[in-house]
Parts: sequence; C-alpha cells; structure tokens
Amino acid sequence: MLPKPSAALLQLNGVYSNFDSVCRASQASEPFNLRLLPCERLAILGPSGAGKTTLLRLMSLDSSPTKGEVIFKGRAGQRWSIAELSHHRAVMPQNCQVAFGLEVKLVIALARVARTSDPLVSEIVLHAARLARADHLLARRCDTLSGGEYARVHLARVFAQLWDVREGLILVDEPLAALDLALQEHILQALDAFATERQHAIVAVLHDVNHALRAFDRLLLMKEGRLFADLASNRQAVPVLESLYGLALECLGTADNDFVVSPVSKRSLMACVR
Amino acid sequence: MSRLGAVLRAQPNWWLGASLMLALALAVQVGAVPVSIADWFAMLKLVEWSALGDLTQTPSAGSHVLFHLRLPRLLLSVLVGASLGLSGALTQSLFRNPLAEPGLLGVSAGAACAAALTIVMLGDLAAVIHPQARAWLLPLAAFIGALVVCFSLESMARWIAPGSVAALLLTGIAMNALAGAVIGLCTYLADDEQLRSLSFWTLGSLAGAQWLWVGLFAGVLATGYYRLTRSIQTLNALALGEAAARHIGVDVHALRKQIIVWVALLAGLAVAFCGMISFVGLIAPHLVRLWVGPDQRQVLPLAMLLGGLLLLVADTLARTVAVPAEIPVGIFTALVGGPFFFLLVRQVRGRTT
Amino acid sequence: MSHTQFQSAEQRSRRLALGYLACCAALPFSMFPSSVQAAATKRVVSVGGALTEIVFMLEAGNALVGVDSTSIYPSKATAFPNVGYARQLSAEGVLSLRPSHVLVTEEAGPPAVLRQIAAAGARITTLPANHRYVGLRQRVLGVGRVLERSDTAQVMLEQLDATWEQVRQQVAAQTTHSLARPVRVLFVLAHSPAQVLVAGAFTAAQAMLSYAGAFNAVQGFKGYKPLTPEGLIAAQPDCLLVTEQGLQAAGGLEAILQLPGLDQTPAGRSQAVVAMDALRLLGFGPRMPEAVLALHQALQAV
Repeated sequence: MLPKPSAALLQLNGVYSNFDSVCRASQASEPFNLRLLPCERLAILGPSGAGKTTLLRLMSLDSSPTKGEVIFKGRAGQRWSIAELSHHRAVMPQNCQVAFGLEVKLVIALARVARTSDPLVSEIVLHAARLARADHLLARRCDTLSGGEYARVHLARVFAQLWDVREGLILVDEPLAALDLALQEHILQALDAFATERQHAIVAVLHDVNHALRAFDRLLLMKEGRLFADLASNRQAVPVLESLYGLALECLGTADNDFVVSPVSKRSLMACVR
Repeated sequence: MSRLGAVLRAQPNWWLGASLMLALALAVQVGAVPVSIADWFAMLKLVEWSALGDLTQTPSAGSHVLFHLRLPRLLLSVLVGASLGLSGALTQSLFRNPLAEPGLLGVSAGAACAAALTIVMLGDLAAVIHPQARAWLLPLAAFIGALVVCFSLESMARWIAPGSVAALLLTGIAMNALAGAVIGLCTYLADDEQLRSLSFWTLGSLAGAQWLWVGLFAGVLATGYYRLTRSIQTLNALALGEAAARHIGVDVHALRKQIIVWVALLAGLAVAFCGMISFVGLIAPHLVRLWVGPDQRQVLPLAMLLGGLLLLVADTLARTVAVPAEIPVGIFTALVGGPFFFLLVRQVRGRTT
Repeated sequence: MSHTQFQSAEQRSRRLALGYLACCAALPFSMFPSSVQAAATKRVVSVGGALTEIVFMLEAGNALVGVDSTSIYPSKATAFPNVGYARQLSAEGVLSLRPSHVLVTEEAGPPAVLRQIAAAGARITTLPANHRYVGLRQRVLGVGRVLERSDTAQVMLEQLDATWEQVRQQVAAQTTHSLARPVRVLFVLAHSPAQVLVAGAFTAAQAMLSYAGAFNAVQGFKGYKPLTPEGLIAAQPDCLLVTEQGLQAAGGLEAILQLPGLDQTPAGRSQAVVAMDALRLLGFGPRMPEAVLALHQALQAV
C-alpha cells in the first residue's frame, strides 16, 4: 500500500446542484462537500434517479454547480482549459456509439488527440489495447463490435489517455452494465492495476453493491438527490446500505474483507422464523 | 480483383488526381467550338498580350474561346465541385450522419433564398449602392443566408435524437420548404427584370465563369483546406459524440462553429456564383468512404478531388449534350444523385434507426 | 497482406499512376480540325421570335446561322441551329456558329454570357422589347441597319404603317359605334387545378388587348399573377384569351372550360375562348398589325 499524500486531488466545496432527477423545488437542498485524495477508489451507489450521474458530471467538470466550487488539483474548475483537463482526467462512458464505423485503432489513438506532440502514440495504443484485452480488435471497425467489445475499446481509450500521467482521475459511469461475469471481473482488475501503477484515483457509479464493496475503498451513497452517507467500504457499511435501499441484507462469508452481500431471500427468512 | 483493389487503395490520392487530370484533358477538347493545336499556341500569345495589358488583339477565335471561356469554366467546375465535396464531408462529420449534405439540409436553399431577397429588395436600393459593390452583394448575401441556416440546424440538432437519420432529414425538408416558400414569395413580388435573375438560382449553371471567380474559389478552398487540416484529428474525434470528444480534450463548441462557418462559406459561394447544384456533396464523400474508409484524414482531400471530378463530368455533359444550347448542370447532378440517394438511404437505414 | 507485399503494391500503384499522368499530358494535343476564324460574310444569330420574323421579312434569311427556341415563324426558321432559351444562352454554343452579329432583345441573358460573346468579337445589337407599335418600328429599323438593308426596311416599314393605320381606324370605328360596353377579356397564361396565371398590367397580352379595343377583366396588378376561382368569378370576363400552344398544353378546349369558377362567368356560360398562335399574338413582330385585327374580329364575334 502506498502512503497517501495529503493534498486533495478533487474537492467539492459547498456545491449545490439539481441532483434530483425529479425537480423538487420546495425542498431545500443541502450543500455537498467532498474531498477525494489521489489513489483513492470511490464508488457511488444509490437507487435510480438519486443523482449519481449528475454528481459524476460535476466531478468530471462537465457541468458547473449552481453554487459552490469544484477544485481539481488545486485549481478551480473554470480555470482548467478543455485540452489541459484531458491530460489529467478521463471518463469512460456508459454507452458510446462511434459514428461512421471508425477503426478501433484510430478510436484508441484519438484519446491522445489533445497532445501537441506525441511520438509514441502507436506504441501506447498497442499497450493500452493489450491491457484492456482489446488487441485482437485493433483492425476492426466500430460498427461491427458487440457491447462487450465496445466496453473494452473504451477502456483501452481511457488507458491510452492517461498512460503517461501520474495522479490523474478516472471516472466511470456504470461500466459493467450488460457485460458477462468474466468481462466484469477483468475490467475491474485491469482498471485497478492500471490506476495503482500510476496512482490514479477512480470514481465509479455502480449498481452492483458487491463490486463496490470488493474493489473500492470508499462508498458514497446518494438518495433522492442528497448525500446519504460517505463511509469506508467494509462490513460496517452493510447496515447503512440496508437503510439506503430499504432492503434486508445478509453477509455471506467469514473473513472481514472477503464477503458477499445479498438481499435476504424469503426462504432464509422463513428458515429463520422456523 | 482484390489485387486491383489493393493497388487502388494504396495510393488513392494519386489515382484520383490522375483521373481528374485525364478528365480535364478530355473535357478541354470537347465543346461547341472546335479547337486545334494552333489555337493552343495562339493562346500562349494571347496570355502574353493579356499580361502586358493589350486586350484588343485576338490571335484566333479558337484561342479566345479556349482562354476566356473554356478553361475558366473547366477550372471553376473542378473548384466548385471540390468545394461542394469538402462542405459535404464537413457537414457529415458535424452531424455524425452519412446522409447530411448542404443541399439536402437546406443550406443551399437558404443561400438562394437570401440571394432572392437581395435581388427583390435591391431594386429599391439600386440608386444607393455602387454598381461594383452590387456585384459582390449577392455572394455576400448568399453566404449570410447559408450561415443562418447552418446555425439554426446546429442548434436544432441538439434536441433531435442523436444519430437519427429520419429526424435530421425531416429538419432538412423543413428548411428546404421554408426557403422555397420565401423564394416563391420573392418570385411573386418580383418584376420582370428581377424575375430573370431569380430563375437563375433554382437550376445550377456554370456559364459566365471568369478567371476572377476561379481565383476567388481557389483562394477560399486553399485557405479552408489548410485551416481544417491543421486540426483534422479533431474532426475524427467528433465521431465519438460531443461528450466523449470533450473528455478527450477537443473544444467541441469552437470546432462546430469553425465547421459551420466553412460549410456556409463553401456552399454559399457555390450557390452565389453557380446557382443550386445538389448531391455532389452527398455522393463524393460517401463514395470516398466506401473506397478508403471513414478516416477524415483521407476522406477530406479525396472528397474534394472526387467532387471536382464529378462536377467536371456533369458540366461537360451539360454543355455538349444539346449543342449549341446548354442544359443547366443541376439537372445532371440531380438525375444521378437522386437515385443514388435512395440507394444510400436503404443502406444506411439498415444500420441505424 | 504482409508489409513487403503492401510496399510493392504501393510502388506499383505509384508507377502506374505516373504513367497514367504522363499519357494525360499528351492528350491536349489530340486532334480536331482547323481553328475558328472570323468569317468575311455576315453571319447573324437571332435571339427572339419577332427578330427572326423581321430578318425573314427583310429577305435576309440567308445571312442567318442560328435562332433561339422562340423563333418558330416562318417554318423554315426552325431548320436553323437552335441556341436554346433566350434567357439561358450558352456562350460557346453561340460562338460555335461563328456569328459576326447577334441580335437580341433586352430579355436575353445571362448578362455574363452576353459579355463573353461580345468579348469574343461578335457584335451584339440589343433591340427594345417593349410592347408598343413604336417598338416594332424601332426593331425593324434596327435589324435593317445591322443587315445593311435599310432601304428594304424603310419600304417594309411604310407598308406596316399603312396597315397599322387601317387597323387602328377599324378598331376605333368599331368601338365608338358599338352600343354595348367593350369586351372584358381575361388572358390565361397557364393553369393548374388550384389557380390560373393571368395577365395584368404591363404585359404583352394587356398591350394587345388595349390595341384591339378590349378591356382587361382583371385590374390592379402588374405582370402575370395567379388568380383564385373567386377572383375569376369577380372578374366576370366575357371571353378568355389563350395561346394555341398553351391550349394544347392544358389539354384542349374542354380542359380550359373546366376551370373552377368559370361557369359563373359570361365567358364560361357562352364558352367563349379565343386561341391564337403565341408568337403571332405576343411576339410584337411584323405580323402585329394583322394580329391585332384578327384579335379584334375574334373578340367581336364572341
């Protein structure tokens, strides 16, 4: 484990925004405060419509808050130029269709388009594709890819974008939706390895609680447009998760760091009662 | 066949450039007036005299036709075709849609509409404006009209379902209808004199080409090409979508504005000088993409070359098929482009919504 | 395809393209016969049906080398090469006939093409296209001057003047003696199911009607404008005037009589439709005086 530096990578101070997908103007929203350190792994969880994607967009500096400020690497959000920002933060989209069926090799290379001089781009593209296990797709056209292949291509793109940078920020929006189990595992591991080597922080919006508990150190729980809880990802988080989702959850597994959470099934409930 | 294909694909710029040269060489010989080698040599003398400022002497009628009529017209058709090809490729990149084209989307109609309004209102202002300025007023008006349509399309495209072919085409139909209605109104309000000028805008024609126009188009095209190729990878980045492009560092807003201005300039000028010529901007980039793939670094220059070739061939047919009369070139491009467009729609609808 | 194979394909391709290019360089010198030299005798291209008629009237038809699409009278005019529509001339097309003179009216165009023809050495004479008898005199004299037949032109002009005087008197006599109000006529240029295109003020049709002593049923606008069925009824024309070519294009007499609203007008009720050849009626050529007389008589017979 690398020692964590104390300067914050990303800070949200007193941020107000329209998190709730259903506009409830009458409800007074509370200001949002968040501090993200380099190398951190943060998972955002919550029911649908809780405002997770809005939060992610604020953190990636895609949108500005109505009040408050977002500070990235010590500089205010507005003072970052688009090109400079792309050198330090990458976003892996949920589903991104590439028009015109561009070649995969070109799509990955585009991740480095904002760099003025880039002599090593073809090598980086190759390595990034290999890491994301998309090297067999390099000569393919994008309009012939399946959902899983697309995910790997976008992962490779993120890798290529932050390949030669340290202490960057990677944001992912539900990357594992509609992917098979093996691919989900692979993507999480590849992301983790990549980020650890370069001390990038990862912020991910996830639906699967187990993925969050296993691969991420910190959980941010959103409910109805507000911050519900900000806590470490371990057994102590389970009761909070229960009240977040309004479900009874049981932990399966013995070790403190190696457990799986599952909603209590009717069968086991009946067994308990009996 | 695949070996031939590979050979052709290896150096597409060379092949297309060579074909264009061949077409030019053939086109310069056909026409209503026969020319011979003697006329070519006489033309050199003519050029020399013109350069010295002596415009009164003509070595031979054939050389006059060659230098003052045929050569400017050929070169203009290549340049206008290249402008249309380039603006078509840019429009498709901007809207992320292979069916986008300035003509289909109403940009050319908007330019013609602005020109029509200028012609009709110009009658009242004739006394105020200097005659020299009047000649440049129409191209300027056409450019502004094209610009207005482009910006409207761009803001509308934000809330049209992204990637939806049908929605974009419907917007284009609406734009064309609106521009057509305004042109119709101008036709109604116009008197005979103005009507003569107005009827020119609906069917394209390259008659009246002069060296001045050739120079103007060459300059605009060269400048546009140079400016756009400096950041050509960002054009590729647009294909990822607005959000993804912004994440990788492309200033999408500024890029879109730049593309719009150049599309409006190229399409607007083409309409201003040559009337409405449709489908070249649709066919050229699409054929090029079928040939070498969708990478803009190759598509842009090749679309220009192919557009120039297509319009050269169309114009040569237009001025030789019904000698000594002339058929408006827009008819030929529509005759070929219309069926091609149907094929294209069928092919594209198979892939997207 | 391996790297080396690709390389040689590239090289082969490049060599082929270079060879191709070299062939192209030689092509401009391939062959067409002699170059075009200015002819010594007069070669005249006439752009305008009326002008062509005047040329033939002055017995200078052998100087003619080309006509436009409206030159349909006399019938031998149609045998000459056709340079197309007067407003959409082709510079090279006209110049291929090696004209020494080009006769045009003010309606010919595009202006850039006319400039190109003039710059190539052909003399362009622009004659007025107004719809008055005075204009006809100017045209006859102008054409005569260009063809160097001013004497013949003068003789023809005197004949025309005499005929014209006769016609004017006849028309005037008829209209002053007639007790009934002058005939209300509507000139229909073209029609579609929804509306008809009719002639208002400052048109050739209006001029002919006033010369023939008739009254335009529609007033208050200039040029050719569409008229709705209600407008047609309000106009209450006694008679419709069409060109023969327009009548054919519309589908014959029955089609014209089907115009919506026509049956509510005197013209529709009495099925009064007069058709005349387009060039004769609206050309304002040498046949104008007798055309006016024919029109007048036809309208009176209605």
